[in-house]
Amino acid sequence: MRHTLRQIFRSGKFVVGFSIFMMILLIVIVYPLVVTHPPLEIIGQGTFFPPGIYVSTYDAINAPTTYMLNLTDAAAKRVANKLKNEDRLAMKEWMVAAGVPESEIDIADTESLLTLWKRHYDPNKRMEGMTFARLRYYQRVNAAIEGLLSTEAAIIAAKNRETGALEEVSAVKQTDYVNISEVANVRVLALGTDNFGRDVLTELVRATGVSLQIGFVAGLIATLIGLTLGLLAGYIGGLVDDVIMFFTNLFTVIPGFVLLILISFSIGQDKRGAFTIATVIGLTSWVWTTRAVRAQVMSLRNRDHVNLSKLSGHSIPYIILTDILPYIASYVVMALILQISSGILAEAGLSILGLGPRTTEVPTLGLMMNWAMIYQAPILGKWWAYLPVLVTIALITFSMNLMNTGLDQVFNPALRD
Amino acid sequence: MGQAVLEVNDLTTKYITRFREDIYAVDHVSLRVEEGKTLGIAGESGCGKSTLALSLMGYYFPPLHYVSGEIILNGRKITGMKPDEIRKTALGTEIAYIPQAAMNALNPTQKVINFIEDVILAHNPTQDKKDIYELARASFEVLGLPASVLHKYPVELSGGMKQRTVIAVSVILRPTVLIADEPSSALDVTSQKMVIKMLKGLMENGFIKAMIFITHELPLLYNVADDIMVMYAGQIVEKATAKQAVFDPLHPYSKGLMGSIIVPESGLRSVKLTAIPGAPPNLKKPPAGCRFAERCKYVQPECKVTYVPLYDAGNGRAYRCILSEKTLREAYQHGW
Amino acid sequence: MKGYRKYFLTKLAWFAITFVFAFVLNFTLPRLMPGDPVAAIVARQAQGISNPIGVQAIYQQYTELFGTNKPIIEQFFIYVKNVLGGDFGFSFSQYPRTVVDVIRASILWTVCLQFPAIIVGWLIGNTLGALAAYLKGGFDKVLMPISIFVSNFPAFGMAVILMVIFGVTLKWFPTSGGYGYDLIPSFDWKFIRSVIVHYQLPFWSIVLIAIGGQAIGMRAMSIYELNADYVKYSRFMGIKDSTIVRYVFRNAMLPQITGLALSIGTMVGGALVAEIVFSYPGLGTTLLTAVMGQDYPLISFATLIITIMVLSATFIIEILYGVIDPRIKAAQAE
Ligand SMILES: Nc1ncnc2c1ncn2[C@@H]1O[C@H](COP(=O)(O)OP(=O)(O)O)[C@@H](O)[C@H]1O
Ligand SMILES: [Mg+2]
Repeated sequence: MRHTLRQIFRSGKFVVGFSIFMMILLIVIVYPLVVTHPPLEIIGQGTFFPPGIYVSTYDAINAPTTYMLNLTDAAAKRVANKLKNEDRLAMKEWMVAAGVPESEIDIADTESLLTLWKRHYDPNKRMEGMTFARLRYYQRVNAAIEGLLSTEAAIIAAKNRETGALEEVSAVKQTDYVNISEVANVRVLALGTDNFGRDVLTELVRATGVSLQIGFVAGLIATLIGLTLGLLAGYIGGLVDDVIMFFTNLFTVIPGFVLLILISFSIGQDKRGAFTIATVIGLTSWVWTTRAVRAQVMSLRNRDHVNLSKLSGHSIPYIILTDILPYIASYVVMALILQISSGILAEAGLSILGLGPRTTEVPTLGLMMNWAMIYQAPILGKWWAYLPVLVTIALITFSMNLMNTGLDQVFNPALRD
Repeated sequence: MGQAVLEVNDLTTKYITRFREDIYAVDHVSLRVEEGKTLGIAGESGCGKSTLALSLMGYYFPPLHYVSGEIILNGRKITGMKPDEIRKTALGTEIAYIPQAAMNALNPTQKVINFIEDVILAHNPTQDKKDIYELARASFEVLGLPASVLHKYPVELSGGMKQRTVIAVSVILRPTVLIADEPSSALDVTSQKMVIKMLKGLMENGFIKAMIFITHELPLLYNVADDIMVMYAGQIVEKATAKQAVFDPLHPYSKGLMGSIIVPESGLRSVKLTAIPGAPPNLKKPPAGCRFAERCKYVQPECKVTYVPLYDAGNGRAYRCILSEKTLREAYQHGW
Repeated sequence: MKGYRKYFLTKLAWFAITFVFAFVLNFTLPRLMPGDPVAAIVARQAQGISNPIGVQAIYQQYTELFGTNKPIIEQFFIYVKNVLGGDFGFSFSQYPRTVVDVIRASILWTVCLQFPAIIVGWLIGNTLGALAAYLKGGFDKVLMPISIFVSNFPAFGMAVILMVIFGVTLKWFPTSGGYGYDLIPSFDWKFIRSVIVHYQLPFWSIVLIAIGGQAIGMRAMSIYELNADYVKYSRFMGIKDSTIVRYVFRNAMLPQITGLALSIGTMVGGALVAEIVFSYPGLGTTLLTAVMGQDYPLISFATLIITIMVLSATFIIEILYGVIDPRIKAAQAE
C-alpha cells in the first residue's frame, strides 16, 4: 500500500492533477470561512457589474481623515478617465470638420488632444449637416471637459432641516484623498456581479462546492451500482449475468443524455433539488462501469488464488470481498474518478438545457452557466459571468483526468510509452 | 572445424530506457555457428537471451543500441553496414528470426499470404504475386502445413498452428541462419513436440543451413542442439557441446540449471529454472566481480571483487569461474 | 460465416428490443411530469376571454384533442396506433403544428451539422493521435496536454469560447441561427452563403471536442500497436518501415471505430448542447423549446428521433467494423 502510494505520487501527471484538484477543494472549503456573505444574496441593483473594488462614495466623503496629496498627473488622469473613446472620436470628427489636419490629432494622447480642442472648439459654430442634437452633444462634452479641468472644489451640501435650504457641509478638493482602509464600506467584487446582481466569486465558490458534491454523489451511485452489477454478472455468471447484461446492453445504446433529459423533465422543476439531479445522473451512468468491472472480474474468476479459495469452501461474498475486489480496486477508483468528472459535466449540460436543479436554493456551475447564457453574457462581453465558470469546470475535469492518466500509468505498465 | 556461417566477436549492445539508463543486456558475447549445426542458448528469463537474438541480426532500433563488436554473416561483416542495406540483403534472406511471442508475431489484420507477399516484395519488388503464392504453397506443403492457412487471418489459427505458420513464414526466403527464441515455451505438450520436430526438419529439408535455438529449459536443448551456450546476466558463462553441458556442466550456474536429477536419453525432465534460489542481478548496476556470486554455493571471497574472464578449457569449451575444472567436478560429486 | 449471420441477427434483434424499450420510455417519462401542460396552452389561447365557461370549454376541447383525460395505458395504445399511422400528435407549445412538422423542420439541420462534424473530428483526431505516437518528442508533448484539456472541456464551453472569440470579438461569423434572420429559406446563392457562414462556429466547436478524445485514444492505441510483437517480427523479416507504419495505423484505427460507436451517444449529447448555444435551428434547440414549453409530445418525439439516430449509427458502425476488422469478426462469430 505504502509502496503503491509512493509510486502514484511519483507520476508527474497524477501529482499535477492532484495538486490542482486539492487547490480547488481548499478554496471551496476555506473561502466561505473568510468571506461569509450568503452566496445568493442580491447586492447589485442592475446586471453584470464589472470586477473591481467597490468603494462607498458616501463613506469616502465622510471618511474620518482626509489626506492631501499633490500628484502632478492627477488632473490629466482625471480627464483621461472621464473621456470615453467615443467622445475622443467625436472630438476628432469635429476638429477634422473644422479644418484641423487629421494627422495632427492623436486621440490616444489626452493632453495634446485637449490642447487642440481648447484652441479650436467653438460651441456656437454649426457644421454642415450637423443635427441640433449633435451640436448639444458637443456642448456637453465641452462642458464636461471644462468641469474636469477646473480646480475648484466640489461642494457637498445638505438640506437644512428647518429652512429646507441647501447649506454647504464640506468641500471636496481635487487633492483630497482618503485611505481606503478608513472607508467604512468597501466591497471587493473580484469577479463582478452576475445578471441578478450577485457576487460572482462568492457564488462561484459555492457553486463549485455544490457541483463537486453532485459529481461525487452521482459518481458514487454510478460506481456502486456498476460495481455491484459487474461483480455479480462477472463472478456468478449464468442467468444473473444474462439478465444484467440485458439491461446493460439496453442502456448502452439508449444515449444516457436522452434518458437524463427525460427523467429530469418528468421529475419537474419543483422537485429537482441538487441531490435529486445527482441521483438521476448516477442512475443513468452506471452502464459503463458495469461492463468494465464485469470484464475484469471474468478475467480474474479462474485465477489460481480464486480457485483455491473456492476449494476451501469460502462463501461467494467472502471470495468477492477478499479475492476479487482487492485486485480490481485500483480500477474501480479510476472508474469512480471518471464518473465524478462526467457527473459534473452532465449536471452542467442539463442545466444549460434548463433541466438542472431548481434555481432558488443553491448555485451550481451549470446553473451559473445557464443564467449567463440566458442573459447573453457572452454576446454582451461580460466575460466574468461565464469564463470563470468554464475555467473552473475545465480545471476540475482536467485535473481529475490527469490523476486518472497518472494512475493508469502506474497500474497498467503496458500503457507506459 | 566446419565452415562458420555466423561469427560474432565481442558483441556488446545496450538498452537505453526512457529514464536514460543504460542496460547492457548483451555484454561482450562471442560465438560461432557452423554450417549444419544448431547452437543452443540457455539461461533464466531476463538474462539477455532475447536481446542477444535481436542483437545478432545487426539491425538495431530504440531502445536497443549497438555498442561494440562485430558480426560476420556468411563471411560478410554486417556491423557497420547501413541499416537499409542490412534490411534488404540480410534480414529474412540470410538471417531470420522467430520471436519469443510468436503467437502475436503476425499482423492480426492481414492474411498470411499478404504478409508473405510483403516480405518477399520487400526484398524483390518485381516478383509476381502468382509466383509468390506458388512458392508459399510449396513451402507450406513441404513443412506439412495446409495451403488453406495462407488465406486465413492469424485469429483464425490455433496456437500451435500459428506457431508453425510463423516458422514457415520465417524460412520462406531460405535464410542461412534461423534464430528461434523460445519457440515452444508457450505451447501445450503436443504442439511443443510438433514444433520441435518441424524445427529439426528445417535443416534436412534445406530451408536453412544453421540454427540458434533459445530456451530457458536447458534439458530441452539436449535433443535439439549440437553446442550449448549458457547465459547469465548478459554474459556467457559456459560454452560446451550439448552432451557436456547437460551431463558435465562446469559453471555452477549451468549445474543449477540442470537441477539434480537427469534421466538419460528418453525422458529428460524439464526442470523449471527457478530452481536456483535468489534472483539475477540488476543489469543497470551489475556487480563488479562474478555476476553469479550472490547466488553461488561455491562462492569465494575474491569472486565478488575481481572480474572473472571466460576461461578456455580446450576443444571449444569455456567457462567463467575462478575455480578449476577439477575443483568444480569434485565439488559436484562429493559436495562442497 | 454461419456464426457471423447469427451475430448479425442477434444484433438486429437487440436493435429492435432496444427500440421498443426506448419507445416506451420516451412515451412514459415525460408524461409523469407533475403539472398540467394543457392548462398552459389554454391560458395562452384564452387570453382576453374573461368568460370562465368559455375557458372551460376550450380546456375541454384541448383535453379531448390531446387525449390527456384518459388513463395513461389507454393513452399509450392510442399513441401507438397513431404512431403506426405516422401521426405523432400535436405540439403543445407550437399548436397547431404537429410534432412531425416541427421535427421535420429541424432534423436536417442537426444531421447536416453533427454527422460531418463528428466524422471530421474523428478523422483529424485520429491523424493527430497517430502522429503524436509516431513522431513523439515535442509534437507529442504539446499535443497531448492540449488534447486532454480539450477533451475534458465541456461541449458548451467550447461553443461559448468559439462564439466569443470568432463571433463577438473578431466578428468573423454570426453568433446565432442557421441562416440570416432576414432571409427566407430558398436555394439562391445568398441564402446558401448565409447557411455556410452560420455553419462554421457550431461545426468547429463540435469538431474540436471530438478531436481531443479521439486523439488521446488513437495515440494510446498506436503506442500499443507500435510496441506489438508483429511490428518487431515484420522489421526483422526485412519489411520496410513505411509498410509497417501502414500496418500499425490500420490496426490502431480499426478499434477506434469501436470507440466511435460507444461514444456517439455522448457526442450527440454534447453536440445538441452546442446547437443550443448557437441557437442553431436543429433538434437541440427544438428540445430546449420543448422543455421550456413543457411540450411532452414534442419531447417524446425529439428524444425518440435522437435515440433512433444514435441506435442506427451504433448499429451501422458495429456491423461495419466487423466487416473490415478480422479480429472483431472472429470475436463476433464466436
Ligand atoms: N525494451 C527494453 N527496454 C529496456 N530493457 C529491456 C527491454 N527488454 C528487455 N530489457 C531488459 O534486458 C534484460 C534482458 O531481457 P531479455 O533479453 O528479454 O531476457 P530473456 O530473453 O533472457 O528473458 C532484462 O533485464 C530486461 O529487463
Ligand atoms: Mg526472452
